[in-house]
Amino acid sequence: MKFKGKWYFSVIEKLILVIFLVWTVVPIYIIISNGFRRTLDIKTMPPELFFKPIFSHFEKVLINDNFMKYFFNSAVVAISTSVIVILLGTFTAYGILIYRSKFGEYFSVFMILGKLVPTITILIPLYIMMNKMGLTGTYFAPIIAHSAIQLPFITWLMLSFMRGLPKELLEASKVMGCSRMKSLFLIIFPLLKPAVGSAIILTMQYSWNELMFALQLTNIKTYTLTVAIAKYTGALSVDWGKTSAAAAITMVPIIIIGFFMQKYLVTGLTAGSVKG
Amino acid sequence: MKKKFNLSFERGDLLPFLLILPTLLLITFVMIIPLFFGTFISFFDFSLGGFDLTRDFIGFDNFVRFFNDSTALKSMVVTVLFSIGAISGDLFFGTIAAVLIFRLSHRMSSILRPIITMPLLVSPIIVGLIWRYIYDPQGILYWFLGLFGLGIKDFPGVTSQSTALISIIIAHWWQVTPFVIIILTAGLVSIPHEYYEAAYVDGAGSFRAFQKITLPFLSPMYMVILLISGVDTIKIFDIIYALTGGGPNNSTMSVNIYAFNQGFVNTNMSYASTISLFAMLLAFLLFGLPFIHNNRVQHEEYK
Repeated sequence: MKFKGKWYFSVIEKLILVIFLVWTVVPIYIIISNGFRRTLDIKTMPPELFFKPIFSHFEKVLINDNFMKYFFNSAVVAISTSVIVILLGTFTAYGILIYRSKFGEYFSVFMILGKLVPTITILIPLYIMMNKMGLTGTYFAPIIAHSAIQLPFITWLMLSFMRGLPKELLEASKVMGCSRMKSLFLIIFPLLKPAVGSAIILTMQYSWNELMFALQLTNIKTYTLTVAIAKYTGALSVDWGKTSAAAAITMVPIIIIGFFMQKYLVTGLTAGSVKG
Repeated sequence: MKKKFNLSFERGDLLPFLLILPTLLLITFVMIIPLFFGTFISFFDFSLGGFDLTRDFIGFDNFVRFFNDSTALKSMVVTVLFSIGAISGDLFFGTIAAVLIFRLSHRMSSILRPIITMPLLVSPIIVGLIWRYIYDPQGILYWFLGLFGLGIKDFPGVTSQSTALISIIIAHWWQVTPFVIIILTAGLVSIPHEYYEAAYVDGAGSFRAFQKITLPFLSPMYMVILLISGVDTIKIFDIIYALTGGGPNNSTMSVNIYAFNQGFVNTNMSYASTISLFAMLLAFLLFGLPFIHNNRVQHEEYK
């Protein structure tokens, strides 16, 4: 899109973009940098741009407040969820593909209807069920809750990528004597790399960042990072040093992963809008 | 001889079902059974302790209670207001930013994109915390406003009933605008360049070209954004949980926060379940029906 007009339009445009960048980056920067500031300096306005970083907040959070453990818990939940979702999502999509039923056509409607159900509507009865079965406080509970929420979308993503693969490929694999499961693992799965990449980053960020299920389905031993942080906010006054350090520990890893998987993140997000 | 595509289903072939079965079981256990169970307990006085089918049956009491509960009704209104404010801002700022970024050189926009998408990766509970720090009376916002001679009386932020909801909406804009930018960028790329050239040759200005070419091309994207992020706004929980917890004076009490408090703070599971059913109804009426309608219209167009 070319733009016509006076030179100052272009200047105004650039200015708006700069303001937008500042608006996006500054809040993240403040919180991360506050993790390295002395408690007194956090309350000093304007915040100093250059300061001598301290690590005592991180030390307190990681060692005294057990965030090392919570980090591990979050990693277990997010990674297990991703593995389950990608495996089952691929299987289901393949099942729908080879079954070739009309159901596949309406899968996106089914997916959207699932999305209309608020988390809280599921959580209350699910909590009662899990509680009765003695499953609250296990890793199992948040993992299967997160997996079930993510599966419809990821299945649909896999299905739409599989439909894009040339049919001749599957026929060729058949001719060469591959069983259908063999051709899924050896031929189709490797070709789904963009879909798998998108599924990994979307599921990881959902599960890593999810709060409501984790809040009720875990206990002090299996708290994820978001739950541990939520416990900090309950207090009337917030210890900003510790909270900022905890927030940095939680968001920096997923931002870094997202940075390296940028391409897949965009693919995954737009696939839903362009193909849906 | 043309061989039939032989991977497909044949009579008695169980493989497709075996492939779908685990997902089906998982979704049944985590979504379908809870949905029925949640509806079921709405008709009972249910607590985590003992439970008796006849003794605890209360019929429609919870539903009647909902309509007589001013906080519950207010939470529905707050949720709708939040939804409207959040989506309109997301679309407005997202459209401006997407168009401006699209006009940059390819190199510039590929540098900007990872930076701009960062808020999407931040957990909503942390988004709430970040903005709690920003809105702190001694915090950075009031220092910034102070530079222009403004203070806490001009914008009381989350401390006043009148501005608490908009403060939360702003925090939501911060997080969700990047999503709109990504989707709209995919739409902008698909617009043929010649359309603009033709428009400019005909003497159209930038704004008119935007109105007559860009917007119509983007309209399917807007539908998707409306649906995806619209449903998410009805589910708003984390940001409010961190920022206000529903206060002051219930002015930011979304229906999810209220149901959560009823269930897990007041341990009134069955009433909480009733409220959450109304939350689902709200999501369905606002975003489910338009989607189904839109879907049907599209299918009829294909015929």
